[in-house]
Amino acid sequence: MIVLRNLVKRYGAVTAVDGLNLEIRSGEVVALLGPNGAGKSTTIDLLLGLARPDEGSATLFGMPPATAIARGKVGALLQSGGLLPDLTVAEIVELTASLHGKARPVPEVLRRAGIADLAKRRIAGLSGGQQQRVRFAMALVADPELIVLDEPTTGLDPEARRAFWSAMHEETAQGRTVLFATHYLDEADAYADRIVFMRAGKVVADGTASQIKGLAAGRTIRATLPGADLAALAALPGVDQAEGRGEAVLLTCHDSAAALRALLAATDARDIEVTGRGLEDAFVALTLEGAAA
Amino acid sequence: MNTTYLRMEVRRLLRNRRVLIFSMLMPAILLLIFGGLNKDQEIGGVSATAYLMVSLGIFGSMSTAIGGGGSIAVERGIGWNRQLRLTPLRPGRYVAIKVMLSLLMTLPPLLIVYVLGAVALDVRLPAGTWALVALGSWLGALPFAALGVVVGYVAKPDSVQQVSGLLYMLLAAFGGLWVPVETMPRLMRDVAELTPAYWVGQVARSPLFHGSLGVHAVLVLLGWTVALALVALSRFRADTARA
Repeated sequence: MIVLRNLVKRYGAVTAVDGLNLEIRSGEVVALLGPNGAGKSTTIDLLLGLARPDEGSATLFGMPPATAIARGKVGALLQSGGLLPDLTVAEIVELTASLHGKARPVPEVLRRAGIADLAKRRIAGLSGGQQQRVRFAMALVADPELIVLDEPTTGLDPEARRAFWSAMHEETAQGRTVLFATHYLDEADAYADRIVFMRAGKVVADGTASQIKGLAAGRTIRATLPGADLAALAALPGVDQAEGRGEAVLLTCHDSAAALRALLAATDARDIEVTGRGLEDAFVALTLEGAAA
Repeated sequence: MNTTYLRMEVRRLLRNRRVLIFSMLMPAILLLIFGGLNKDQEIGGVSATAYLMVSLGIFGSMSTAIGGGGSIAVERGIGWNRQLRLTPLRPGRYVAIKVMLSLLMTLPPLLIVYVLGAVALDVRLPAGTWALVALGSWLGALPFAALGVVVGYVAKPDSVQQVSGLLYMLLAAFGGLWVPVETMPRLMRDVAELTPAYWVGQVARSPLFHGSLGVHAVLVLLGWTVALALVALSRFRADTARA
């Protein structure tokens, strides 16, 4: 459905997208995750045909992006997409609907986006979060097969974020394909079937949320151990790294069971906690990996 | 043709009354001043008030048409063009809608100038002459609508008003819309002939002199329309390609 091959996009001396390959199949809900400046927005611009790649190609439904958009197969919500301030919510969605050959009824779409009560309000008087939901309604109105969202919940409060994703969930239940860029880990974890992790213009990890978490494999042991010999702890079986935190020590382990047995046998450690690592650790690990290289 | 878009644009226009009122205010005030000063005068055998009325009607429609395309710059500035690129609307259609809107916008200033001319300055013309004058002035706004599109793609959103303002002032001053070309020195008249404003004037004023449109002036104006439309097209293509 979406095929990106060897995409390269440079802005002056900066290479925003650097040889990116990505394939997204019909019905998938994919999160494009990565730190700021990873090239997420540029990738979205390229796959929508809003920017031209310096190398490589982007196709949607086997067509050039502009053709797929012209056929009304794609709905998108962009950070940079502006709205006409002097139209009302209902008018701007009706206008968008009229530009597409086929469209869903405007009242239904407004309800879906949670802005039915704002229908007669002018865009100029809306909050950033409300405008974001207007963009969402505009992306849905053509009943597209593919929905592309660039950081859709930026600027929304937690309640609005939840409402946005529950509306999104109903849309994807109908078998739509969704690609959304985000830097909110919890959103990627909760709503995507698949997470594509980008860093410095490349895909550095691609899989389900649990596969991505697995990349930052292992567990952390935390224990109280006054006067610990950190070098000796780091040398224990299964331990990668030992850090001191006042009276406590923090052991990063690839084999926590072996580390635990050795720790109990060799020391007087108490208050022992073992924790698995989350998506956040994976995020940090994947981001730092690049910074060190 | 997408009539919904045009309808929405008209609604926006009616909501922005400032633009609408300003488009009528300038030519109306200038007509009352210049017309009042030259009452009972004649220019080339034609009443000076009728002459000035037609010229200032053109000034109103020209300035409005140039400003109409300027809205493209503002909409590019807020990112509306990116939003439109997510729809099947072909960019050429967008420009066509803007040109049509510009032509619609020129009607109020033309109307106010003709009403003021007839009521306040006692301009009396045969019905056929009125019709030809109005038609020439209205369609004569086409090259300026194209010029407005050029400005819309070249100017920055925060300076577009000043750019289009300067443009129509220069065109009006040097094209003989404020000061009749007949009273200009030789050199100024030669300069005037280089502006499209002069040729719209020649087209729209010719019915005052001989009851019909001058063929030569119509052809020159047509040339200007084609040339400016081509420039607009190339600016617009460059903008779309830059992506």
